[in-house]
Amino acid sequence: MTSPGDATPVRPPPSFSPGVPRGASKTRYPDERRNSSTPSLDPDLVESRVGSSSPTPPLSATTSELPIRSASPYARSLRSSTPQLARSSLGSPVEGRLDAAEDIRSLIIRSFSPVVGVYASVDTDDLVRQKGFKGGFWELIRPFGENVPGKVVIRDSIGSSRPWEDFGVRFVDLGGSSPTLYDSNTARTSPLAQVEEVLEKQLKSANDPLSGSVRPNDLLNFPSTSPLYKDYLRQLLSIASATPHETFRHPVASIIVISSRNTSPLESLRQLYADTSNGDRRLPEWIHPEYLRYYVLVHDEDQDDIAESTKLYDQMKRHFGLHCHLLRLRSNQCVVTDDDSVQVPECEWLSPAERLSNKSEPLVDLDTDGLPYLFESDVMAIKGFIRELVAQSVIPHMENRVAVWNDQVASRRRGISGRFMSMSRRWAGFGSSSRSSFTSGGGVSGNYDGAHGFYKPDTPEAILRKMADFAFMLRDWKLSASTYELLRSDYGNDKAWKYHAGAHEMCAVSMLLNPLAMPAKTKREDVDQMIETACYSYLTRCSDGPDGLRCLTLALELLKARGGSAIESATRWAMRAIDLGLVGPVGQGLLSDRISVCYASRNAIPGVRWGTRRRKAGMWSVLAADLWLRLGMPALASASLEEAERLYADVLEGDGVFLMPDMQTFIDNLRHAVKVEYLEARGLDTSDETIIADPLGTEETSEQLDKRMNRRSLIASPLDSAGLIAAQVTRDDDNPADDDFERA
Amino acid sequence: MSYYFTILSPTDVPLFNLAFGTSKSGGDGIARFRFPDTAQYMNQFIIHSSLDIVEEAQWMNSNMYLKHIDTYPPASSYISAFLTPSGARFLLLHQPPQLPSTTDRTGSGGTGTGSSSLLASSFSGGVGSTRASSSSVAANPTSPQTEEAVRQFMTEVYENYVKTVMSPFYRQGMEIKSPVFRGKVSAAGRKWL
Repeated sequence: MTSPGDATPVRPPPSFSPGVPRGASKTRYPDERRNSSTPSLDPDLVESRVGSSSPTPPLSATTSELPIRSASPYARSLRSSTPQLARSSLGSPVEGRLDAAEDIRSLIIRSFSPVVGVYASVDTDDLVRQKGFKGGFWELIRPFGENVPGKVVIRDSIGSSRPWEDFGVRFVDLGGSSPTLYDSNTARTSPLAQVEEVLEKQLKSANDPLSGSVRPNDLLNFPSTSPLYKDYLRQLLSIASATPHETFRHPVASIIVISSRNTSPLESLRQLYADTSNGDRRLPEWIHPEYLRYYVLVHDEDQDDIAESTKLYDQMKRHFGLHCHLLRLRSNQCVVTDDDSVQVPECEWLSPAERLSNKSEPLVDLDTDGLPYLFESDVMAIKGFIRELVAQSVIPHMENRVAVWNDQVASRRRGISGRFMSMSRRWAGFGSSSRSSFTSGGGVSGNYDGAHGFYKPDTPEAILRKMADFAFMLRDWKLSASTYELLRSDYGNDKAWKYHAGAHEMCAVSMLLNPLAMPAKTKREDVDQMIETACYSYLTRCSDGPDGLRCLTLALELLKARGGSAIESATRWAMRAIDLGLVGPVGQGLLSDRISVCYASRNAIPGVRWGTRRRKAGMWSVLAADLWLRLGMPALASASLEEAERLYADVLEGDGVFLMPDMQTFIDNLRHAVKVEYLEARGLDTSDETIIADPLGTEETSEQLDKRMNRRSLIASPLDSAGLIAAQVTRDDDNPADDDFERA
Repeated sequence: MSYYFTILSPTDVPLFNLAFGTSKSGGDGIARFRFPDTAQYMNQFIIHSSLDIVEEAQWMNSNMYLKHIDTYPPASSYISAFLTPSGARFLLLHQPPQLPSTTDRTGSGGTGTGSSSLLASSFSGGVGSTRASSSSVAANPTSPQTEEAVRQFMTEVYENYVKTVMSPFYRQGMEIKSPVFRGKVSAAGRKWL
């Protein structure tokens, strides 16, 4: 994902003085300009991008028949399942685990990408609709923004620059009929319920033996992160829409687009600008109005004259400065059979609501998954455009803002006088000379608009938050952590609880993301405390479930990535999320599996046998299996159960029988129920009959299969398999007194 | 507060099990766990899983009484451990009583049988209950008073355990079936917990 090699700063240290003209930033990337100033990109960059654009989840070849093996009656003794141990050693396990951790980390980092608004003129949208994109220009470029091709160099606040492979921006539509920027209130159901719904649909389609393209095993592939869980995380992180309390979803820039068909291009550009700055397309007043504007001219290759467009483009450059681009697209629709057709990549960051609305349609055509095609030249042009936009305008803009705000606002607060000011503000209720509006009450700055629940965007609190968010998105976690730290107490004093929660959450997250801050014990306690506070503020004071769950999940994943004793904290947060009822049944199963994975990833202390958490991991896998079974997903249940057997195998001595009688009974029953369910689910699938018939052999339980149509509760009714009971009785009959006592 | 007391041999074989409730502050000494009756296996799962921590804690601590070592937040179960020189482990699971609101939820979910209601039995309830009655000794599982009471209990059980295993009819690793021992443990539970 990221190249950790910290290059020495090649460029001279930047001048952070705010007086530097904006245009000067263009010249800071001489080497990149050579690569990407032409619309068509350097071919090998594109190639590397295309080559890596289809990440297929690694799938160990043995998983396809595993559930049957675990469900077979011969696997009653846990030790007999030794072949399963071989699975984890198929690919070198250490490498896989590291990959998974990096993967999740990259996912989390990418979920906090800068947002770029798109506002296209009517003629542009018409041109793009002609190409088969109903949503207009925004829909055309959206998938390409999620991963900017090639490395993007970002310079942090101390002037060292670092290339990132996985940088991306999120495009949102400012002009279209669907306001994707801030529509959280219009949703009929809560986002968490939507996430759950999407997952259920996904599982249903995977569970259906007839559709058959995706096996549940692919979805739940132990021991690395299961794709299903990753998908869950991704959806959770893409719920967020623009809110006052954090600025991640506020546009950092907006692009204003016209096409060569426009008859009065400069006029319409002005009109579009006016619309977004003070017209009907204006953003809500809690969004900072000064963001970067970028002007794009779309040239129609098929119909219009390039000479005309170039002339117009030169004119635009004269008017609007350097933040302009000429994008050359063909207006004809591309179909699969065309020579140079390229399928448009799928959007990675769809919010759950969008997923729900998308999921309903593509039942008709199974081969093409509903994704349109584009000419290769168009794809190249769009990628080049986005790279230029990001590398030469958006990132320099953000770097510049961070530097300016750091200089003007943050350093004043950080210095000794700033501390004194905030102290005196808190204790004496006077002394802040810079604040004109000052309400009564010690410690309240008066900048917080309690009635509407936000800070005005030009107050120091809002600017600092924006600066910290910018630094976070630019991956300068040290700066962002220290800035959030500054803000935490301010928000608390003002009783701006949502801001308070957000600052605590992001402070903890940036501390955990910062690779240099090693997890000293006190540090981790700080982090735990911050997450605790954030969670309390989100849930109890603001009753904001999605953000609370996001906070807990981020804590879980990042602490897990830290390893060692941080695992305990990680699992604690996961259990908290389950306890608080933030997740639905599917989420509960996924989190239980995740807790098991967390515990399993804890290694023994070198040289001795203890220090692992195998028993805990096994227990959570069993619980997950129970949950999956109750949800009617025997395939997932059997995967979890099998994982539990693998985990317990190390712990249980001798013949692999649990020494505690109740546990053994429960596991036996569970195993049996999973087997029955699994075979029932597969019963329809005639192609697999041979596989099913094989493990069954002469086992007497097979005759039950066709009689029972629905699942019986595995705990309430002890299954009437004579063999199991008999085995149980022989093991139990030496302590009847105990059982009697417990039932009393 | 409900208790589940287990003696495990060094090879994790359960030698003795006893479930009982508190007798302090008007308790009737009957265990009322948060799990439905069909999910009592959860106690054993929790105890078994805490052996991971016992194994770690026994090398870090020179005392025989290891204090409160593990928590299972979904059911707010707290585990205290005591280590004998022969390697047998005494594990005591204690669980504060539930608030009425969460009892209702468990009751309604009881038809589902098993650990979903168990998982749903919320941690906030546990926090609330400890906060609500933190003044009474037995209700707050992490207070020093409780630690002390558990220590007294463990010591008394240990005395009786030593006497029992020294019996000429007892082989090491055998299950303890002596009714006298059982009675003594219950008495210790009544006395201290």
